[in-house]
Amino acid sequence: MSQPVNNPELPSHLSEAALSVAAQSGADVAQFRIARHQSRGVSTRDGNVENVASDSSTALSVRVVHNGAWGFAASTDLTAEAAADAARRALEMAALSAQVSLNPVELIDEPSYGTVSWTLPTEIDAMEKSDAEVIALLQDWNARVAGHEAVHHVDAHVAMGRDTTFFADLNNNAISQSRDRISAQLTAINVSDAGFEDMRTCAPPAGRGWEYLQGTGWDWDSELAQIPEWLAEKAKAPSVEAGTWDLVIDPTNLWLTIHESVGHATELDRALGYEANYAGTSFATVDKLGNFKYGSPLMHITGDRTAEHGLSTVGYDDEGVAAQQWDLVKDGILSGYQTDRSTAAGIGLARSNGCAFADSALHVPIQRMPNVSLQPGATDITTADLIAGVKKGIYIVGDKSWSIDMQRYNFQFTGQRFFEIRDGQIVGQLRDVVYQSKTPDFWGSLAALGGKSTYLLGGALNCGKGQPGQVAPVSHGCPSALFTNINVLNGRSEASA
Amino acid sequence: MSDLTTAQAVEVALELLGPDGGVAIGEVSASTNLRWANSQLTTNGSMQETNLSVAAFVPVDGGLGCGISSAQVRTREDIENLIAAGRASAIAGGASEDAQALIEGPAHDNFHDAPAGADSSGVSHIAGSLGDVMRDTAAEFFGYAEQSTDTMYVATSSGTRLRFSQSTSRFELCAKSHDRQRSAWSGQGGTTLTGVNVAAHSDSVLRGLGHQLNKIDLEPGHHNVTLSSSAVADLMIYLLWTASAREAAQGRSVFSKAGGGTRIGEQLTQRNLTLATDPNLAGLETFDRVVNLGSSSMSSSFDTGLQIDRAEVIENGVLRALGSSRFAAKEAGLPVTALSDNIEVVDAQGHGTIEDTAARMGEGLLITCLWYIREVDPQSLLLTGLTRDGVYVVRGGEVIGAANNFRFNDSPVSMLNRITDAGDAVNCLPREWADWFTRSRVAPLVIEGFNLSTRSDAI
Repeated sequence: MSQPVNNPELPSHLSEAALSVAAQSGADVAQFRIARHQSRGVSTRDGNVENVASDSSTALSVRVVHNGAWGFAASTDLTAEAAADAARRALEMAALSAQVSLNPVELIDEPSYGTVSWTLPTEIDAMEKSDAEVIALLQDWNARVAGHEAVHHVDAHVAMGRDTTFFADLNNNAISQSRDRISAQLTAINVSDAGFEDMRTCAPPAGRGWEYLQGTGWDWDSELAQIPEWLAEKAKAPSVEAGTWDLVIDPTNLWLTIHESVGHATELDRALGYEANYAGTSFATVDKLGNFKYGSPLMHITGDRTAEHGLSTVGYDDEGVAAQQWDLVKDGILSGYQTDRSTAAGIGLARSNGCAFADSALHVPIQRMPNVSLQPGATDITTADLIAGVKKGIYIVGDKSWSIDMQRYNFQFTGQRFFEIRDGQIVGQLRDVVYQSKTPDFWGSLAALGGKSTYLLGGALNCGKGQPGQVAPVSHGCPSALFTNINVLNGRSEASA
Repeated sequence: MSDLTTAQAVEVALELLGPDGGVAIGEVSASTNLRWANSQLTTNGSMQETNLSVAAFVPVDGGLGCGISSAQVRTREDIENLIAAGRASAIAGGASEDAQALIEGPAHDNFHDAPAGADSSGVSHIAGSLGDVMRDTAAEFFGYAEQSTDTMYVATSSGTRLRFSQSTSRFELCAKSHDRQRSAWSGQGGTTLTGVNVAAHSDSVLRGLGHQLNKIDLEPGHHNVTLSSSAVADLMIYLLWTASAREAAQGRSVFSKAGGGTRIGEQLTQRNLTLATDPNLAGLETFDRVVNLGSSSMSSSFDTGLQIDRAEVIENGVLRALGSSRFAAKEAGLPVTALSDNIEVVDAQGHGTIEDTAARMGEGLLITCLWYIREVDPQSLLLTGLTRDGVYVVRGGEVIGAANNFRFNDSPVSMLNRITDAGDAVNCLPREWADWFTRSRVAPLVIEGFNLSTRSDAI
């Protein structure tokens, strides 16, 4: 395996080699990173093991600002010579960049934290679990659902990962960090002459250890027990009537809508145009900060890198900025952005809120998403209370298809389970539900929030952004919530219209 | 791999895999990139990466187990640890369903040659040309250029020794008006950036912005459209990813036949349209042997070294093949079809450029590119996504202005039967899937009644 980077001798040896080259060349800023990303995955298909795999990837990188321009270089060669060479190549890239850059790079100040370390707490080290234990868990889950007459195929998988990083710069930082994540899903499939349907567990990935798959933070037993019946009901369910519906959206679905319509929309680099060629820009431009009505006054959305079990939770970002929490939307008004040190300087903020990071040392840190969460209502309203107040609506559980435009206006989502609500009661499932809206309209239709007891930290492992493409895990907490008069399409008739 | 060359590390891995056998793959990659926004360079990078992956085979009850492990390695001890991890996974996983005798593939004479070196000349060429573009005050410019070189060393315990090397390039230029109310894009995939004519791309996007000066508000609905080659590629790549023999045979795909079996042999379009992958596609060549670790419906570690031939998934409008590993093909009762890392979509009845094709359409919309494409319903392969960076209104065969953007909901499979015209296939860069797919030769297509479902106010 690769050399462990939690050996303090190794990264400091490398960082000194790199930073000394940068300092001697007169770099204004030099940041050294080394990161090891370990992952393991097991998948089963109808109970048979399909894949058992592990990966360990370690790289180092150097980023400089020299003559007002950025330069970045990276290598998987973990030697002092390679570290020094990376510094030299970063300086060369800065020189190349300076030929075309018109405005010099400026970074907002951040204090030095010296030599510090941070570790995301977990209870049981999942990475130490044997492959046999992981396989046994998946085969047990498979057996629980496979015997039902409606279940014809079962796919399941477990994935886990650990990031171990070291950051050092010319500002005397030497920051060691480690964090774990884990996820698991099971999908049951029904095939009939009428077609096929599937039903998946809705447990989000989490910054937790093996205890998560044993029931801490998610009731696997309850959900797995209900999957076959939910699938059987869905396969026979009536197709939704397209039109306007009230929606009670479960946190297992709403997290993704928050991610797309608020999370990405409040990335300052997008608002400033940095992603215009790729991921897109944002309707939430800087001139709207503090005055744009994003949605209902009930809407209070925060950004943070501190949430317990959060996938974007960390001690310090990849520019040495300490983790924080702040408002993005307060009382329905656009109140803040996610920033790095460069974009924060660009709009005159006093400090970055610590959202610069990369998915590996091979990639340059860019402004990425913190945990972005909708705060629950002050009163502890339950999901059942929200449903009870709806005359004609749909209770949507679990995420599936998602898509949003390049300024984060027009979005369209589906889900796993769609329960029809009539006169405050759930009367059965619907199929083919697709909800579509425009971000400010959707959030303007937020009519009621669930309370703390409905709050759940959802999230994803695969948030994509940047060129070259980077992938990041991120969490989104939210309560159940009621949205009124939302446009619902029928997926079947959209295809055949 | 500082103590061993990558080829040596691969050989050591095979030696350590022992008589039980397996597959070892060493990869060496070098890439350089530039990114710009608001007519300023933003980020850049020079990256060098090496990696060793193994599929360790171990006899277990009932057959052969397979475990996958990968890491950066420097010493023989590192490789021993890697093999031990793979073997442990193989034992834990039990007998692999897809276990087969390995192919006795070729042994390349140049197996021990050094990896292809990094080439920064292409990025320097782009940087040199960008200055003039950035200084053009007619618009603001955004974009990305990347040049990468990948060398792969593949060895199996059946004697296969493969050394593949390929260069890949990607260039994208987006222009926006200063008020950000108009936006146009142009892209180019290929093997080298040195051939990119930055000025020509700049002319193209500025011409697009010019067309957009006349804004025409259009309602959602079913519109006749000419989809650019990039847009068609994005839709057909998704179709290709879904064209799995196993899922079709199990009744879990748009290519499943009602009542059982697959739709192979069914006429999907009356056009003489062929959708193929071909490792020897001139100018867009790619690996012609299966190089894979892990199991899925389309691939298997045990198929490593298997020759990839041209595969016509759709031939003259008829569904002819679905992708598979050897095991999945046997399960489905279909011939083995290994797909290569490129795509060709040709309509034999089509001719002319995209401008010619749009002109023949007469009335309709010319769509530059699609974005954020996701599957809504796998049964029909209903996809959703957005139009982006240029929806041009064609009247009387001429572009007279530009419409607002739309969200589309349509299926690339049902769409095949609504093709009314096509242009010549050309090399193109799929806007959505360019991170994974840069080798595309695709015809622009005219589609009757493309479902532009709702309006998007995005620009």
